[in-house]
Amino acid sequence: MLDRRDFIKAQAVAAAATAGGISLPAVAQPSMVAGEDAQLTWSKAPCRFCGTGCSVMVATKDNRVVATHGDMQAEVNRGLNCVKGYFLSKIMYGQDRLTQPLLRMRDGKYHKDGEFRPVSWDEAFDEMARQWKRVLKEKGPDAVGMFGSGQWTIWEGYAASKLMRAGFRTNNLDPNARHCMASAAVAFIRTFGMDEPMGCYDDFEHADAFVLWGSNMAEMHPILWTRITDRRLAHNHVKVAVLSTFEHRSFELADVPMIFEPGTDLAILNYIANHIIQTGRVDKAFIEKHCSFRLGQKDIGYGLRPESVLEVRAANAKDPTDSKPMSFDEFAAFVSEYTLEKVAELSKVPKERLLALAEMYADPKIKVMSLWTMGFNQHVRGVWVNHMVYNIHLLTGKISEPGNSPFSLTGQPSACGTAREVGTFAHRLPADMQVTNPTHRSHVEEGWKIPKGLLPGKIGYHAVLQDRMLKDGKLNAYWIMVNNNLQAAPNSDQETYPGYRNPENFIVVSDAYPTVTAAAADLILPAAMWVEKEGAYGNAERRTHFWHQLVNAPGEARSDLWQLMEFSKRFTTDEVWPKEILDANPDFRGKNLFDVLFRNGNVDRFPVSELDPAYENRESKEFGFYVQKGLFEEYAAFGRGHGHDLAPFDTYHEVRGLRWPVVEGKETKWRYREGLDPYVPKGEGVRFYGNPDGKANLFAFPYEPPAESPDKDFDLWLVTGRVLEHWHSGSMTMRVPELYKAMPMALVYMHPDDAQARGLRRGSEVKVMSRRGEMRTRVETRGRNRPPRGVVFVPWFDSARLINKCTLDATDPISKQTDFKKCAVKIVAV
Amino acid sequence: MPPDAPDRPAEAPAEWHIASILVHLRPERSPDVRAAIAALGDVEVHTEERGRMVVTVEGPHEGRIADRMTAIHLMNGVMSAVMVFHHAEPVAAQSAEEVGPTRR
Repeated sequence: MLDRRDFIKAQAVAAAATAGGISLPAVAQPSMVAGEDAQLTWSKAPCRFCGTGCSVMVATKDNRVVATHGDMQAEVNRGLNCVKGYFLSKIMYGQDRLTQPLLRMRDGKYHKDGEFRPVSWDEAFDEMARQWKRVLKEKGPDAVGMFGSGQWTIWEGYAASKLMRAGFRTNNLDPNARHCMASAAVAFIRTFGMDEPMGCYDDFEHADAFVLWGSNMAEMHPILWTRITDRRLAHNHVKVAVLSTFEHRSFELADVPMIFEPGTDLAILNYIANHIIQTGRVDKAFIEKHCSFRLGQKDIGYGLRPESVLEVRAANAKDPTDSKPMSFDEFAAFVSEYTLEKVAELSKVPKERLLALAEMYADPKIKVMSLWTMGFNQHVRGVWVNHMVYNIHLLTGKISEPGNSPFSLTGQPSACGTAREVGTFAHRLPADMQVTNPTHRSHVEEGWKIPKGLLPGKIGYHAVLQDRMLKDGKLNAYWIMVNNNLQAAPNSDQETYPGYRNPENFIVVSDAYPTVTAAAADLILPAAMWVEKEGAYGNAERRTHFWHQLVNAPGEARSDLWQLMEFSKRFTTDEVWPKEILDANPDFRGKNLFDVLFRNGNVDRFPVSELDPAYENRESKEFGFYVQKGLFEEYAAFGRGHGHDLAPFDTYHEVRGLRWPVVEGKETKWRYREGLDPYVPKGEGVRFYGNPDGKANLFAFPYEPPAESPDKDFDLWLVTGRVLEHWHSGSMTMRVPELYKAMPMALVYMHPDDAQARGLRRGSEVKVMSRRGEMRTRVETRGRNRPPRGVVFVPWFDSARLINKCTLDATDPISKQTDFKKCAVKIVAV
Repeated sequence: MPPDAPDRPAEAPAEWHIASILVHLRPERSPDVRAAIAALGDVEVHTEERGRMVVTVEGPHEGRIADRMTAIHLMNGVMSAVMVFHHAEPVAAQSAEEVGPTRR
């Protein structure tokens, strides 16, 4: 017999050995929990941080989450947890958790310059509805807007879309996912006619080469990184190439490390295409049968305000999405100028490394997986770089099969599931449908059981445009949910904050904590988070996964879903829909918006008797029907039979997620290839069925420089990003004392020679200054991030040090996603 | 507004925490990594195979576990350090009582 500690330790070791696939003789498959923990109630839930979609087991006791551990049954993480996942049980219990609505008041009523005072939900919604009605009456639907999130659950995003588009008749709805992967989503649609990756995480165990294009997976996707590490260490032939504008933790595994000059990834990708063509390694049969070539628009500007000199000077800033057909030979000629010599000089990457990288793609024997996140997507040419990586996979036919996989990773837990699939972008409807397409709108009107012609066809304001319109007084009633945009948005002192405090505007923020955004609002609504509600997320590999409500939210905090649905009750159709629509559809006159949107015969179809009696479900009990199931099933109907098939609602509570399309109960791991994807007809081999002709599009684009480059006044590149310990703006992780202490402040990482040249050293207090703003911090020259000379890196998690005061609000002109990776700053001693 | 991150209150009951961490490392760097881990003091290496190492950390609170996990993750030669198992209990509970291999 062992003593108790030895016994628990043996269990701990056995669990880790099992998770790592290490043989440990004479150890049985361990229980994951020991001692008193075994008495707790354990349930599954996906982690609410990054887009990886790890499943965790969550222990509750007395209405409190007391422990979490990695879920051994989950394919994604196989029992592993990163440091953020480890502290999931603490994110809900920060001392300053919001528990009641707070309204700015003076003399007993709302005042823009008043102090925050606690109010009841009724008082909060009364004032909010009064403001919404005022704005709708004075200015119409274009002056109302909402900024949501890739952290919304699927049904929350879906309810928001219904309320904004069908209720208030505006497409001024955008998720913070716009800042995160809009470029990836747009390029998917333009290339394949359908969003999201064709492959999945199983590619990690099949690839011979991994290429990280602007992704620091070691810190941002640590669990997926262990899968690449496993593959690399277990197979000597496997190689890893890491490209970045500064050296970071992922370089530890790199066989081919590459630091490139910011923005020159465009040229590197064109060089690889050129190399494939010049060395005769194009898969001619594949491109003949499955690909079309197009010449894209060049000189498209930088998505700044239209009066900016860079926009005026750009030849094609007004029609950046244009393209025209071209032949393969014309494409070959287009990329031929991107020679090894020229690109090595431009990018500052040594020739032999560029060649080694190009061979990973060109060599037909190597199965290659490309991975990218913000380095690609937060890029003034983000759509172009996404297209270019598809170009090199398509030229070689290295796509849609195990191990050959261009794979766009995501930053948020439901960037795919909610922001993209549900369609919470200003231009999108459910299941990849578009607001500008009348057939798509009509289809959605039928599915939602609302009058024909009700849905607006004009694309709404995207994230950065919302900020500009708030500042300019054109967007006046604004609701922000599950995000911290004042910390996340670019050029925030000049372009974001002024809009929130503009006296014409009423700003509402729903959050669990008093973020900088909430502090700048007029009304703060306390939100339930994570397992305080029943939820569903969709991760980066098309995996939809569910969880039950496990505990109640504190105080008066309520889920975003409840808030959206409850707020809709304050409006009637007469107040928000035009007379012509009501005249043509008299049955809809005088109806409550809640009844029209949520008691429509679809959403209220499932009675509360279908709830699992083991779990609480506050929204359903209050509204009198199984809200989440009704919303999900109405939503899922749009995708079924169209390549977006989701399984029945109840199935997802049983499994650790399934990858869509789920056809006849089976998930799809690889799309577009016969035998792997049920949508590809027999005999076709490969079919990119998102496009009517079944072909994928390759686009030819040139290298073009960033919007702002260092000069004599502002002589350094600024790159922003994240760190291991903190997720996004830190509003949850900075409240976990252990994570806060591990990384308490955002430092400026710089090269020691750059520091020395400015009379600085490690720890020196400095200002990071751009043409737009400044931020004060300390210098780090020896940390985990090691920029080359001329580049500095600053993470953005720190609410006390807002680096986004310095960044530039330049966006990709096509995707409207901000470039947070390239602007010019200087560093001066304080 | 910087968040409040208080130290653990002095009156908090004494606890014993143990966690196992799976470490991926370059096999040829194993001696350096082992030396660096030994220098942490409260981390024990149990087994290592093909670049995968199992270690346990013991300490009085989660902060110690997280601190060690992060430190290992950032060591030269280490690709990643991820949590697999964590258990905590009041110090009183671990008296010399012997337990059998009961399972859930």
